[in-house]
Amino acid sequence: MKPLKLRDRFLSAGSHYIDVAIRIPLRIERRLEVPASVSLAMTVVFLALALLFAAFLMQALGIDAMSVLHQIATVFTTRELLTAAFLRSVPIGLAAVGLTVSFRANFWNIGAEGQMFMGMFASTGIVLLHAYYGLIPGWALLPAMAAASFVAGGLYCALSGVLRSKLGVNEVLTTLMMNFIAILFVDYLVYGPWRDPRGYGFPLSIPFPPEARFGGLMGEAYEGLALLAVLAVLTHLLMTRTTFGVDVKVVGENPYIAGIAGVRIPRTYFLVNLISGGLAGLAGFFLLSGIIGRLRPRASPGYGYTAIIIAFLAGLHPILAIPAAVFMGGLIVAGDVLQATLNLPFAAVQLLQSTIFVMIVVAEFVKRYRIIWRW
Amino acid sequence: MVELSWIEGVLALTVQFGTVYLLASLGEIYAERSGILNLGMEGMMIVGAAIAFVFTNALGHLLSLVSVVLIGALMGLLLAFLVVTLRLNQVVVGLALTLFGYGLSGLLTQPAIRARIMRALNPEVPEVRIVTQQAEALRAVKVPVLSDIPVVGPVLFSQNALVYFALIAAVVMWFVLFRTSIGLAIRSVGENPSMADSLGINVFRIRYVTSVIAGVMGALAGAYLFIGYQPFWVEMMTNGRGFIALALVILASWSPIRAVFGSLLFGGVEVIQFRLQLFGFAAQTPQFVLMLPYVVAIVTLTVLSVESVRKRLGVPEALGKPYYRE
Repeated sequence: MKPLKLRDRFLSAGSHYIDVAIRIPLRIERRLEVPASVSLAMTVVFLALALLFAAFLMQALGIDAMSVLHQIATVFTTRELLTAAFLRSVPIGLAAVGLTVSFRANFWNIGAEGQMFMGMFASTGIVLLHAYYGLIPGWALLPAMAAASFVAGGLYCALSGVLRSKLGVNEVLTTLMMNFIAILFVDYLVYGPWRDPRGYGFPLSIPFPPEARFGGLMGEAYEGLALLAVLAVLTHLLMTRTTFGVDVKVVGENPYIAGIAGVRIPRTYFLVNLISGGLAGLAGFFLLSGIIGRLRPRASPGYGYTAIIIAFLAGLHPILAIPAAVFMGGLIVAGDVLQATLNLPFAAVQLLQSTIFVMIVVAEFVKRYRIIWRW
Repeated sequence: MVELSWIEGVLALTVQFGTVYLLASLGEIYAERSGILNLGMEGMMIVGAAIAFVFTNALGHLLSLVSVVLIGALMGLLLAFLVVTLRLNQVVVGLALTLFGYGLSGLLTQPAIRARIMRALNPEVPEVRIVTQQAEALRAVKVPVLSDIPVVGPVLFSQNALVYFALIAAVVMWFVLFRTSIGLAIRSVGENPSMADSLGINVFRIRYVTSVIAGVMGALAGAYLFIGYQPFWVEMMTNGRGFIALALVILASWSPIRAVFGSLLFGGVEVIQFRLQLFGFAAQTPQFVLMLPYVVAIVTLTVLSVESVRKRLGVPEALGKPYYRE
């Protein structure tokens, strides 16, 4: 039998055993299950490959790639910078935890960015109700802001969800479009009715009063991380220990079977949207209350998209989203420092993030196979 | 006569703006007809615009457009490698390509990097061209005789070369898709890849070719947006138009000819938006007017999803699904 071309054999990946070539003592086999150790190792290897690839690309553009990589390493070894990374990891991590739920339900929510802006809108609204009308007492501000932003983000996401489950409208496109709409809506508020009358005409809301600021006890980074951890664990429990979690899994894998099995599909989608968008809304709340301290236009420079990358980096596991978020938060902080020292635009971080994104997905592919050297 | 020339102006502008959408959606139609959902269109467009900006100032229009085509083809190849050969999830890959495009375009146009690239391309490039955020726009070319026809002349036959290219491409791409064996192969790959495979059509090769077409047209759309329409560089200047093009493809029900009308609709929406601001309507808070294209896109998608309309559309059956040869 003449040895088959590598490509032809590799493409017939449907079967479990594939011989690559007869004379090479090597066989590629499809795994039925991926051990956690292999999964972790592959993720690390491909993360390194992504950094390497991005470094080459930057070097080609004439940027000193070594100093970029060195700066990234510095972030994770310097105490203050690490705290900054923790702080940044909270909003992107919150949104990512939400996304793991919707992606598991096979609902492609690309709208975390817009849902974050709706969360910012709601929390600022609560602050203004307190400051202008005295409707909400100071001690109730933080819980009210958190609840309002959760509901605002969740309902905003559910809008796409209803369009999909009632009419079959593609949620990828609607959630994407709604990002642009939400950003413009917040722009309208800060340039218009919500502009600080004493702000010298700058497009900013009034600064949040101290009662509306998150992190008064141990500092916003650590309290934020605690909030993230609690919500990630709760989400994990929800997905593994409740019938809702099972419903989500079944709907995600096969809505047809789910329907036969008696899962109330529209209700499941609605709850998934509420959680996914709600956590993104909460991320918007934290961004203002924990980090910025007032509403300003374009407050999130694409954190909602970063959250998508984190969700995949974590393998759609809510708890693993925490370390993944810290890693991405570190990259963002490194980007900020590089902007100041090397005059590199934010685009450098975007390039790095997207390379990581691609490599993580490639790793998912590679994980499914293993190479056997002799047989 | 004043009235007429005003209408002519609006219509000409609609055609000019529609061309951005037309170029992008034509590429996307080919990709989707063969079963590839290309969410990376936005990224391909922004890279095309960035290349057009940097290369036009260094090398002039012709060489810059050649580079745009090459870069677009390269991004198309990357898309095909990831979704056809590795069979990765198309939504994820598309998003990653878009983010990659935003990053790459930001780096390419960063002043210091831009200067280095331009000096490498053309050592004699004057300093003015390096610092400027602008570039020379494509000049309008009047088609002899035809441009003298009232209304139609100024609207259709006094535009720049890329507008003509887009309109001709729409007709040619329609003809190839529906009247030639290559088009039949593309459509069958998108409807039923294993059937196409058993008939001797190379599914992988077809999808590679359509991805490259999508990349080239997307990059050209971005380049047109810059040198053909608004030759002033702004970060992320495509502003989600690559995603709107995806909605437009559904509106056009995957037909290049209907894409012409769809792109005129969205071009018209942008012109209305522009005019409303010009007339002082919502001058203080233009945000609601700026939302128009996105709102129109969502409404369009929703209306088209109603069952009776949907049946007549004909979504490519294998859209978004990777092909496993078993």
